[in-house]
Amino acid sequence: MRLRKRRDDHAWSQEHLSHYVDGDMNWRSRRRLELHAEECPDCSLGIRALRALLRLLNGSSGRAAAASAGIFDRVRADVARAETDAGESDEP
Amino acid sequence: MSRTIWSPVSANMPERELIGRAQAGDLGAFEALAEVHAHRLYTVALRFLGDGGEAEDVLQETLLRAWRGIRRFEGRAMVFTWLYRIAVNESNRALDRRQRRRTDVPVYEQAIEVPAPPRDGPASQAERQELREALRVAISQLSMPCRTALVLRDIEGLSTREAAEITGVGEAAFKSRLHQARLRVRALVGDAALVASAG
Repeated sequence: MRLRKRRDDHAWSQEHLSHYVDGDMNWRSRRRLELHAEECPDCSLGIRALRALLRLLNGSSGRAAAASAGIFDRVRADVARAETDAGESDEP
Repeated sequence: MSRTIWSPVSANMPERELIGRAQAGDLGAFEALAEVHAHRLYTVALRFLGDGGEAEDVLQETLLRAWRGIRRFEGRAMVFTWLYRIAVNESNRALDRRQRRRTDVPVYEQAIEVPAPPRDGPASQAERQELREALRVAISQLSMPCRTALVLRDIEGLSTREAAEITGVGEAAFKSRLHQARLRVRALVGDAALVASAG
C-alpha cells in the first residue's frame, strides 16, 4: 500500500519518535514515520538521539544500591514502639 | 492488628506461606518477604530523591506501611509490585515535602552512567561527565508524573504494564507520560550530545 505525503508529517513524526523507537506503532504509522525520516535529517537524527538516550538510561538499571544492614532493626523498633503506645492508650 | 510475634523462617519457605504468616502477625515472615526486595526499593527511592539518608527514611516508611497493610494484601498484585507502589508513593510524598521547602530535587548521581569506550582519553572523560550532568539536570526538571514514568520504565527497566500498575494509571496514560518525558529530556540534552555518546 502506498502512503501519500502529508503537510503535517514532520510535526507528527517529531511527536511520535519515542513511540517509534519503542516499536509501539501500527504498521501504517511506522511506515509513515520511516518514509518521512528517510528524507528528513532532523527526524532521522531524532531517532538516533532517542535510541542513544534509551541506551544510556537502560545501562544504569542493573545497579542496585545497598540499603543499610540495620533497616529491619529500625522497622522492628518502630513496630514495638507503636504497640507500646497503643497499649498505653488502651489502659484505663 | 493481632499482637506481633517474630519467628524465624526457613530460607525456602514459599511466598504464599510467608504472606499467610505475616498476615497472622509474624514480623519475621514479613521481613523474609520484604528483604528480597529491600535493596531495589532503596535504589528506586534513591533515584527519585538523590539523597541516601532520605532514601533510607523512605525505605523505612515503606516497610512500615507495608507491614501495617499486609492484612489487606489480597495477592492480586505481586508482592514486588505492591511494595514498589508504596515506595514510589512515599518517594513522591518526600519530594512534595521538599518542593514545598523549595529545595532542589536532584537525581541520584550514579543513576546515569555513560559507558566509557575501550580507549578513553581525558577529553572523552570530560564529555561523558558533561553528558551525565546534562541528563541529571534534564531529568530533575521533569514533572513528577513524567519523572516517575522515566525512572520506572527506562532506568529501572520495568515493563510498561508493571510500571503503569505501580503508578496507578492505565497503560495508555502511562505511555503518554513516558513519551513526553523522553522528548523533553531529548530537547534539554540535545540530539548532538546524545548521538555522540553512541560513538
